[in-house]
Amino acid sequence: VSRPVALRWNGRLLEADLALRLPHASIELEGRHLEATIHRDGDWIEARIGERAVRCAAVAGSRGVWVAHEGRTYFLDRVHREAAGRSDLDTDEVRAPMTGRVVAVAARPGAAAREGDLLVTIEAMKMEFRLTAPEAGRVIEVTCSEGDRVELGQLLVKLAPGNAETAP
Amino acid sequence: MTARADLVPRSAEPRPIRKVLVANRGEIAIRVCRTLREMDIPSVTIYSEPDRGAPHARAGEESYPIGPADPARSYLDIERVLEVARRAGADAIHPGYGFLAERAEFARACRERDLVFLGPSPESMERLGNKAAARRAAMRLGVPVVPGEEDVDSAERALEAARKVGYPVLLKAAGGGGGRGMRRVESAEGLGGAFESARREAQASFGDPRVFVEKCVHPARHVEIQILGDGRDAVAFGERECSLQRRYQKVLEESPSPALGSGTREAMERAAVSLARDAGYAGAATVEFLLGPEGSFYFLEVNTRLQVEHPVTEMRFGIDLVRAQIEIASGRALPRPSAPRGHAIEARLNAEDPYRGYLPQSGTLLLLEWPRGEGIRVDAGIAPGQTLHTHYDSLLAKIIAHGRDREEARARLLGALRSLALLGVATNQGFLIDVLEDPEFIRGETFTHTLESREWRGPSSVPDEAVLAAAIAMATPRPRRGGEREDADRYSPWRSLGAWGRPVPVAAAGSGS
Repeated sequence: VSRPVALRWNGRLLEADLALRLPHASIELEGRHLEATIHRDGDWIEARIGERAVRCAAVAGSRGVWVAHEGRTYFLDRVHREAAGRSDLDTDEVRAPMTGRVVAVAARPGAAAREGDLLVTIEAMKMEFRLTAPEAGRVIEVTCSEGDRVELGQLLVKLAPGNAETAP
Repeated sequence: MTARADLVPRSAEPRPIRKVLVANRGEIAIRVCRTLREMDIPSVTIYSEPDRGAPHARAGEESYPIGPADPARSYLDIERVLEVARRAGADAIHPGYGFLAERAEFARACRERDLVFLGPSPESMERLGNKAAARRAAMRLGVPVVPGEEDVDSAERALEAARKVGYPVLLKAAGGGGGRGMRRVESAEGLGGAFESARREAQASFGDPRVFVEKCVHPARHVEIQILGDGRDAVAFGERECSLQRRYQKVLEESPSPALGSGTREAMERAAVSLARDAGYAGAATVEFLLGPEGSFYFLEVNTRLQVEHPVTEMRFGIDLVRAQIEIASGRALPRPSAPRGHAIEARLNAEDPYRGYLPQSGTLLLLEWPRGEGIRVDAGIAPGQTLHTHYDSLLAKIIAHGRDREEARARLLGALRSLALLGVATNQGFLIDVLEDPEFIRGETFTHTLESREWRGPSSVPDEAVLAAAIAMATPRPRRGGEREDADRYSPWRSLGAWGRPVPVAAAGSGS
């Protein structure tokens, strides 16, 4: 039985077809074909691919899958097929990367921002973190102010991507 | 060992230690408990609300809640810590590093309650722990220091000081350590903003807004000398090179330094010992230096405590520095350094994303398997199933490798990092591998600017095998191992302590060097 798998890593969509009849597994991935004999031991998945033996640890949750391979760890988001093709976001949301305190707000609603421009400075764990524009655009909304305590994931600034070099 | 007849301690009266409160959290609390257990001394730990399920809360014989997440109302609250010591009947406190370890007022409060503070006296802490005082002492003793200006309290004075010593300059918190409040400034334009920012961080971190303006030595290595003192005498246990830093936080540390000649090492050790003797220092301390071009070196500061990277020294010298701290406080004679053996490298595993500004990461540990093997030691503060918050330092564990030479230690550390599996929280594990594989690291070209002057991109794609494993994990429920249960024993601290190798040099059979 073959089943489609859709995952996202670092913004990139990975679409694959997995055929599983343990201990045999094969996967079609971006035009590449991989066949393996699988041995599972708890969260470890050992794949024998031809002469090579590869060990990965993998734990699946509702949001996605964690995989460890040769000391590097990947989190792959689950993508629902119907959403996979859509560009679901037309705004950038700058969110607090940790719980902390806003020490400075450089973003002004309506202002243009170039990629890398400072938007908000947060202090957490006695260090300052500078949150910058992920791409060029225009600030739509600023939802924090200096001195605010902010929680992990809290929205701070909304940005409409696009050419920022328009007249003020 | 017996007490030396001529020992006249300047700090608290030495006496046997019967029960120790470990006033810290995470890996260092567990590591201290380990030595206490080996010495048959009961240990007590404390935990804040978010640390209730953390392994350090189960690492001692007893454990007490200390307050909410906010360190000021828990781990940093002197009265609460002393109250736990009283209730538990502890007669000594080990402060670990960070938190209260370098607060003279805490050492003093311990003495007033007749508790042994496992660190220096408040007087020598004030003399050496305060950067300005330590710098003056160094100058008086003929130890070279970096040109600069102390206690700068306004942007105008900072500008003037920077013009005097020449750009680039470093701004540093007067009360600080660990890189907090530090800024490198290239020119006069950037100075005002950096000064205000450094001052805010200095105030927030240390409650002291004073800032140093210092000439920036470049290219520089960070080399530090480990010392032990007994109040009269002091001995050095070689150096650690800790040049590889990000945001002034160390990432990889090693001993010996790949750049230090024996003449420079001896000069640094002499300088470190003279500072410790001058302050009547008792306990463990680290004297930090900048190693500039052509063997020039400058005194930076003294850390009046155990360092995070102390295992590197332990593995080379076959010494347990926590045991040494306890023995010194009990009035025993100073241990003498044996000939160091081989090479040791430590990697700090942090919950952070090194490819996105080192942002701290949180989450629940779904899987955790530590590496094992010849010459590998793991000092960890985490356990499977634990939820990690961003309330505290992002250090999760230290992986330390010892080998007959640098290349063997490097290869062992690489192997250990490749076999370490940690799922559920993003860490810098892959980044540590990148650095250990880097040709500059392999050649020993490690400078304080090395990590931040380069772009570290991380993997550009997911290996096909990893996608296959992910797809299989999604498609099939997780099989249980025979008889496996999600019981409490799985998360027992004894399990996490198991990977802690004894600090014994490798190579019983090897040639060593």
